[in-house]
Amino acid sequence: MDPSYRNLNHGSFGTIPAVIQSRLFAYQSQSEAKPDPFIYYEYPPLLDASRAALAAFLNVPVEAIVLVSNATTGVNTVLRNLEWTDDGLDEILVFDTIYGGCGRTVAYVVETSRGLVAERRIPLTYPMEDDDVVDAMREAIKASKKEGKRPRVAIFDVVSSVPGVCVPWVELSHACKEEGVLSLVDGAQGIGLVKLALDKADPDFFISNCHKWLNVPRGCAVLYVPVRNQGLIRSTMPTSHGFEPKAGSAGLNAPLPPGNKSKFVQAFEFFGSVDNGPYACVKDAIKWREEVLGGEDRILAYTHALAKEGGKRVATILGTKVMENKAGTLGQNSMVNVALPLAVVWGDGDKTEDDDLTPDTPRIPKDDVVAASTWIKRTLATEYQTFVMIYTYRNRWWARLSAQVYLDLDDFDFGGRTLQAICARVAAGEYKMGE
Amino acid sequence: MFKVNLQLAQTPDESTRHLLPPHSDTTPFPSTYNGVNPSFGREMRALFNFGPDYVPLNHGAFGTYPRALLEYRMKLLRDWEERECLFSLHDYPRLLRDSCAAVAPLLGAAVDDVVLVPNATTGFDTILRNLTFAPGDVILYPATIFPACRNTILSLQETTPVRGHELPLTYPLSDAALLALVRTALTTLTASGHRVRAAVFDTIASRPGVRVPWERLVALCRAHSPATLSIIDAAHGLGHLDLSHVAAPSGPNPDFLVANCHKWLFTPRPAAVLYVPRRNHYLLTTALPTSHGYLPPATRAAIPAETYFQRLFAPAATADGTPYLTVPAALRFRALLCGGEERVRDYCAALARAGGDYVARRLGTEVMDNEEGTLREGVAFANVRMPIRVAPRGFGRAMIPLVHGDEGETTRGWWGRVAGEEYGTYFQTYFYGGAVWVRLSAQVYLERGDFVWAAEVLREMCERVRDGEWRGDGMGGY
Repeated sequence: MDPSYRNLNHGSFGTIPAVIQSRLFAYQSQSEAKPDPFIYYEYPPLLDASRAALAAFLNVPVEAIVLVSNATTGVNTVLRNLEWTDDGLDEILVFDTIYGGCGRTVAYVVETSRGLVAERRIPLTYPMEDDDVVDAMREAIKASKKEGKRPRVAIFDVVSSVPGVCVPWVELSHACKEEGVLSLVDGAQGIGLVKLALDKADPDFFISNCHKWLNVPRGCAVLYVPVRNQGLIRSTMPTSHGFEPKAGSAGLNAPLPPGNKSKFVQAFEFFGSVDNGPYACVKDAIKWREEVLGGEDRILAYTHALAKEGGKRVATILGTKVMENKAGTLGQNSMVNVALPLAVVWGDGDKTEDDDLTPDTPRIPKDDVVAASTWIKRTLATEYQTFVMIYTYRNRWWARLSAQVYLDLDDFDFGGRTLQAICARVAAGEYKMGE
Repeated sequence: MFKVNLQLAQTPDESTRHLLPPHSDTTPFPSTYNGVNPSFGREMRALFNFGPDYVPLNHGAFGTYPRALLEYRMKLLRDWEERECLFSLHDYPRLLRDSCAAVAPLLGAAVDDVVLVPNATTGFDTILRNLTFAPGDVILYPATIFPACRNTILSLQETTPVRGHELPLTYPLSDAALLALVRTALTTLTASGHRVRAAVFDTIASRPGVRVPWERLVALCRAHSPATLSIIDAAHGLGHLDLSHVAAPSGPNPDFLVANCHKWLFTPRPAAVLYVPRRNHYLLTTALPTSHGYLPPATRAAIPAETYFQRLFAPAATADGTPYLTVPAALRFRALLCGGEERVRDYCAALARAGGDYVARRLGTEVMDNEEGTLREGVAFANVRMPIRVAPRGFGRAMIPLVHGDEGETTRGWWGRVAGEEYGTYFQTYFYGGAVWVRLSAQVYLERGDFVWAAEVLREMCERVRDGEWRGDGMGGY
């Protein structure tokens, strides 16, 4: 990474150490030295080693682990495979903090299901206690059933994106199981960010990006489908050689040598040409974190503490607050959400104001939100050599900062001062002054 | 400060250090090599990444790319790592536009009508899964359709009212015969009250690797039923055939076309083109996967179809998009170091013809072609029949059958594995029309001598097949 660049937004795209980058290059070179033998014979063991490393990491059977290119693909794969009941009573339950791309996927599925499935959106108002989040889900399931509908699948995060807060996903998984609802866990922000008790939670589907917090190169996510549910995933996305039609036979055409792996695992071994390098790097990244960084516990202890302390410092500099509930569970990850001294005016007579907003807090009209966001993003990158995720939640602006092993408190101090300067410039209307 | 275990911290080890490209903003590769333009064959091979003992005869399967492209792609990845957000904000969109602008003329298309997707399979799925089907709808396709594409259609049969109609046919086949088969199918389907919603054709099929008169097939479909959508699978077409007429006013103008860049166009994997003429933009409501670009019906009705199309395929769903960005570099390599697209195409087709003929003579067999010679025209494949007798099951030892029936398929694994382990190559064999075939691929990094060598290896391997060696293969044929 360029030493003059301070990356306070690891949560958006992740980054990789030089040694993993050189491993990636090594796999790409190896692949082109003998293209066919690599894909047919050398790559499958590399993929299996990565799957095994992930299975051990998550403490689940390797048979339930396959790799896809990103969490969006994983969520799409599950949602597009589910077959909705003909009576049109099925519902998909989502929180209103669902990641944008997943929300669109649900909307698309609803649009194209010819009325067979509807979305039920559950509003959340952070800061909230974990129990309140779980209750909100239970209430929604109850309401759905009371209306004579069938809550079929619930989608929720491990750590949501915006705001970047922990979600009680283990309790939610259990609640769904009790109520007979499939749980689709979007753990895009998950592996390497928090400890994952996947075996205890036992969700129906679980997806997490390896290229965000696990130091794996871009283009790799884990799709976990316990064996009991693999029959529901009829096709990879896109559909490819591993598809087995219910009627008739598509003919033998598995490109990779068959082994004693399940049809599910084999289907995901190859479904369209991709760069296999990131998948092969997973085991290397896990090993590197273990050997060089001292293991997950040590990494998480550092980054969680840094996020917490760093967030406090930024809030002090800005004279604002950190988003946290009473039990202190929202921030038990490597990201922290700090309020900015900027508010949004969504409409006249908007009464749902944040308690800490004062009449002096600069207010940005809603029509300026997009322009201001764009300006902030560009200015942070070009003038301050950094990036922080800025977003609006309810009536104010927030910043989401990501802690990493290559950062320390100085970087958060810098982040705080930078945000202070940026907010002052936004308040002065600088974003309105054209390109 | 986070304390790192420096003793165990690995610096990039020697075996990979040389792979990290130097920091440089200059052109990724020189316009000449050792002062002269390399000739095709051995000299050109040195510009690629092959191991010294490997003979690459199967370019058509996964493609490959020159060292210069490997390094350029690594440079892009490194730039991205170093300046994460700036790269995503400025460089990536600009370079992506440059790539679309570079590839569009290869199809004679407007730049706004092409987008980049990971591979042809994704492009094909994107098209078909966007279409809405009604009872009576049929998708027509020849039996030589790429298996993954067939599977998409079979999958759609389970979840939508559409039915696939597979046209049985066996090559060699004259163009006229193929056209007649398709014409008959269209007539029969329409007469029986079906609506041929889409028809799928290759530019060059995979197995066997033969040329398809796809332009005439598109015209035929359009004449017969203008509403039928023609979907062209040009996975093997781009960089292999001259497709610059595809979207021209007087050209075939199919309704959709997908083509890999990472096969015959020398880009790293994964990179492919999805071409959708403006008139059909409205048919695509989602990319695959669905992500930020998607808008629900009411909202998207408010923006022009062309705008929505570009929005749908804007970067989303984190992936390594650097292969997309290498299209201009790949074309530049082919222009500066290979003498241009036409020269590459002509060389590959000529080598496939001469090389294939030679191998067939040595084996005492033939290269697959029809009487008119159109199957091989301009094609860099040579499909050579193996001198292995295949007898139907049930015939006794008196016939000394070498392979029984569908066992021809199971020798495929043996061919691949032994070729790799013992001879340093890979043969793409397949069982077709009652015989075992090998599909050889010609390329600029090969020369006649490579086909001479291949002939000897194939002869020897055929002897081993006759000896029944593949039967004892504990790996079930792989």
